[in-house]
Amino acid sequence: MAHSLSPECTPLKQAYDACFNTWFEGYLEPAIAHSKNVPQGQRNEYAKKKAEEFEQKCGAVWAQYKECVQKAVRDRGLEDLLEQARQENPLHHPPSTSEGSGSSSTS
Amino acid sequence: MKFFSQSFVYDDPWSIVSLAFFLRYPNPYASHVVSCDVVDRRQTDSGSLLTTRLILKRGTLPRWAPQGIISRTESWIIEESEVDPFGKVVRCRTKNLDHVKVMQIEETQLFQQSQDGRTIQTTHAYITSRLGWGLTKSIESHGLARFKAHVQRSRQGVSLMMDFIRQARLQPMAFGSYISTIHSDMSFVVPETSVPSASGNNTGHKPENNHVPTSQNNRWFDRVWGVGN
Repeated sequence: MAHSLSPECTPLKQAYDACFNTWFEGYLEPAIAHSKNVPQGQRNEYAKKKAEEFEQKCGAVWAQYKECVQKAVRDRGLEDLLEQARQENPLHHPPSTSEGSGSSSTS
Repeated sequence: MKFFSQSFVYDDPWSIVSLAFFLRYPNPYASHVVSCDVVDRRQTDSGSLLTTRLILKRGTLPRWAPQGIISRTESWIIEESEVDPFGKVVRCRTKNLDHVKVMQIEETQLFQQSQDGRTIQTTHAYITSRLGWGLTKSIESHGLARFKAHVQRSRQGVSLMMDFIRQARLQPMAFGSYISTIHSDMSFVVPETSVPSASGNNTGHKPENNHVPTSQNNRWFDRVWGVGN
């Protein structure tokens, strides 16, 4: 697996990645038929279940890895740079799905 | 400013393409990636997954670049993504955090499932230099040319990961153990190395064959990494 920016975080990162990737594979294929038409309530319930599953399986290693990498980010003085970029580029305004070439308007 | 836009269709379903996209580092087409970290990740109430990754990439400067234009050729990249497994959409945005005056590349990627079960990837990029010195245009043109090559290599990387995922899913391995197989650095460089398997969880097939088939991939590795590297 790719290394962490800080060598001391790499073992934690690899343990976390292995755990997350397995969880993520199931997450990408929600066991709900016709998932586009799933009512919001059912979605939320499923999401909650997946979140709990993650917490149970990977929560501890994620907490350790996150602490390690966030310290590494601070130590390298990257915190402000990162924070600024996230402010400018907030995820609640993702790229519009309708822009660009016509071939993407399939949903 | 230069603008780049391109669509590409994968024959595979959205879930595999998206998995391969998130697993794409490391791969032999991305040897410029030094490190890749998840600095934040959370699930929204409605079930989308938001991830912020911080990636360090090694770059090269064009030969005509003035000496000392930047002090080092490594660059921090922020990648923010949103995965919606119900709507089958991945949105991803990246940009470089340093050397932004010389050149800023903002890239967006969109992966959507099409009605026929294939996956459409749409890439947009804005390439901007604010350096001046009469170099803006050459830098932006150079950036655009490099970006086009990068898009191509990046797709090759994703396709390679999909090959691994497809092959591994055919193996009688315990769920999950193949991901560490395809991701252990050794499996790229020395594919013959035996991989720690999830012992006891397998279905009992010979463990020495418990690896993704590599004979064909060997040649790729040799070509990309150099033999014996």
